[in-house]
Amino acid sequence: MILAAAMNPEALSGVEDAIARLRKGDPDALTAMIARYQHRLYRYLLRLVRQPATAEDLFQQTWLRVMERIGRYDARRDFEAWLFAVAHNLAIDFWRGKRGESLDADEDSGPPARDRLTAGDPDALEQLLDFERGAILAACMHELPAIHREVLTLRFEEDMKLEEIAEVAGIPLSTVKSRLRRALEGLRAVMAARFPGGRDA
Amino acid sequence: MSEHDSIAEMLALAAAGGLDAAGQRRVDEHARECPACRRELEIWSVYSLGLGRLPQPAVPAQLAERTRARVWQERAAVADRRWNELMLAALAMFAWTVGLTFWFLMRVLTGGALMVMGANLVRLGTWSAISTILVWLTAAVAAMALGRRRREFRRLS
Repeated sequence: MILAAAMNPEALSGVEDAIARLRKGDPDALTAMIARYQHRLYRYLLRLVRQPATAEDLFQQTWLRVMERIGRYDARRDFEAWLFAVAHNLAIDFWRGKRGESLDADEDSGPPARDRLTAGDPDALEQLLDFERGAILAACMHELPAIHREVLTLRFEEDMKLEEIAEVAGIPLSTVKSRLRRALEGLRAVMAARFPGGRDA
Repeated sequence: MSEHDSIAEMLALAAAGGLDAAGQRRVDEHARECPACRRELEIWSVYSLGLGRLPQPAVPAQLAERTRARVWQERAAVADRRWNELMLAALAMFAWTVGLTFWFLMRVLTGGALMVMGANLVRLGTWSAISTILVWLTAAVAAMALGRRRREFRRLS
């Protein structure tokens, strides 16, 4: 539905119009833009930082930054990618002030998660297809590193192309591909570790 | 690396729609012939499907309203700060203009010599020194007044 709205020419012209009004500091345009993106932006930030209070603070900071920089926004760029890139950079700043987890840390190094799976390991997901699959997947995704959670949510929930993900995260396309693959393998490894008694794949 | 191993590396990305057309065709052709890869591709497809249907977090109540209020509050604070900076700059300019005007008038009226305790007050250096001290004192008083006003504003808001 979101994708359909994004592809709708009327919706697109609505965004362009709102951006033009935002540049002039129109409060109604800000209201419209926040309403339009609040679900997606908040979901993205929550998947990224996992804490609702932090996600809300970053959400508000994102719109503050948008208002600061909207004058410099290049209208030829995709607004959504730009908006999510602003949020991404704020999340990086947030983690720079914290220990333990990092969004820009190189977590793509080391053996791929698939190597940690035993050959012919039972695939737990299949056993759980009809039983709260979404909630279980979300819980398993929660255990992944932030960069992997980010690429998964951008690809599957935001339905972004890999090129758009590269723009948001500020990384090359090849890194997006390897990160996406490792994220999926990591997710599968977490599922296998949580539910070792699943049916053999 | 065999074709099978090479394709096996691509299966997760294929299910995620992350391959170009040629890569996707290669995977599909191989999967048609290879039951193991076909099975793996199916499993990755289930993951992809599931990831697109995760439970959606609820947006906190009145998040949009709080965000809008914070944005306008911050913008008002920035505008207030800019206004204060502009006012201070204008006051400094005004002070210097008044100082120089008075210096010129005093020179004309006193014929270039106004001796106080052995110092000629209408000499440019002496006049500038006195003016600078007065301007800085005025600016300090103004800054203190503004600071007090801002603290009061924060306390009330």
